[in-house]
Amino acid sequence: MTALHFTEEQRDCLQELVNVAMGQASDKLARYLATMVHLQVPAIKLVDTQQLPQHFAQRYQQQSVSLISMGFFGDQGLRGEAIMLYQLANVDVLARLLEYSDDDSSEAEMLTDISSVLTTTFLNGLAEQLDNSFSYAAPRILSSRDQHFADKLAATAQQWQLALQVDIRYQLTDYSFHCDMILLIPGEAVLRLRQMLDQILANF
Amino acid sequence: MALNVLICDDSLLARNQLKKSLPADFDATIVTASNGLEALTVLQTQDIGLVFLDLTMPELDGVGVLEAIKAQALDCLVIVVSADIQPQMQQRVMELGALAFIQKPASADKLAAVLHKYGLI
Repeated sequence: MTALHFTEEQRDCLQELVNVAMGQASDKLARYLATMVHLQVPAIKLVDTQQLPQHFAQRYQQQSVSLISMGFFGDQGLRGEAIMLYQLANVDVLARLLEYSDDDSSEAEMLTDISSVLTTTFLNGLAEQLDNSFSYAAPRILSSRDQHFADKLAATAQQWQLALQVDIRYQLTDYSFHCDMILLIPGEAVLRLRQMLDQILANF
Repeated sequence: MALNVLICDDSLLARNQLKKSLPADFDATIVTASNGLEALTVLQTQDIGLVFLDLTMPELDGVGVLEAIKAQALDCLVIVVSADIQPQMQQRVMELGALAFIQKPASADKLAAVLHKYGLI
C-alpha cells in the first residue's frame, strides 16, 4: 500500500483529464486505422509497481503479450515511462488493416508505430491540460511474442516507485482490439501531479 | 424566465467546468446528473429545456440518452459536450437529434457562440 494517493476530487479530476486525452488518442487511432473506435470510461488507479506484473499476468493468463515502452519528460519534475501492453492474439487484424506483412519484424514495427501514435497523442493531450509539455524518448520493445512479458514488466517497473494504471479498451467497430496503458512515474512526480490537480480544482 | 438546464456528465470536474464557463447573461436554472440513467429520470420528471450531454459515461452513455429522448419524444434541446471527437461520432449524435457538438473541455467562448447561434442567449 502506497502512502501516496489521490483524494476522490483529485482522482475525478485526473480521470477527466485522462478522458479528454484518450479521446484525442482515439481519434488519432481511428484515423490511422480508418475505422471508428468505441470509447469507454477510462479506469485509473495508482498502484505500487511491485503489484503490476502479477496483475497483468493474471489478466492475460497464458496469452502472448507485447510490451512497448516510451519515456517522457516534462516541466516541473513530471516524468516517467509509458508502457503499452498488446494482446498479440488480435494484432493480426491490425496488421491486415494497416497492410503490414505478417512476419515478426513487421509486427514489431506496427506495434511501435501504433504505440508512438497513441502514447504521444495521449500524453500531449494530458500535458496541455496540465499546462505542461512533454518530450519523448524513442519507443522501444521490451518484450515480444517469444518472451514472458511479466518478467520484463517486473524488471522495468522495479526502477520506478509508482504506476498510474490506465485501463484503456479500444473497441473497433468490426473487431475487438484491446490494449492497456501504464504510466510508471516516480514519487516526486506524483506529488507534483497532485499539486497541478489541486490548482485545476481550485479554478472550479 | 430562466431556462431549466441539465448538465449530464460522470465527472464532477466536467460538470463544474461547464457550469462556470456558461455566459453570465445566460438566464438558467441548472440541475445535474452523473450518468445517462439519472439524466433520463430528470428529463421524465422535470421540465428541462436544454441538456448539455457527455457521451462516455457509465450506466447509460450519451448515445443511449439521445436514443431514449428520440424514442420517448422528450421535448428538449441537446448540446453534446464530449472528448469523443471522432467525425463519425459527431455525425451520429447530430443524426440522433443533437443541436450541436462541443469538444471537451468546453471553452466559455465556444459555449457562448453555440448558445448565441441558437438564440438561447
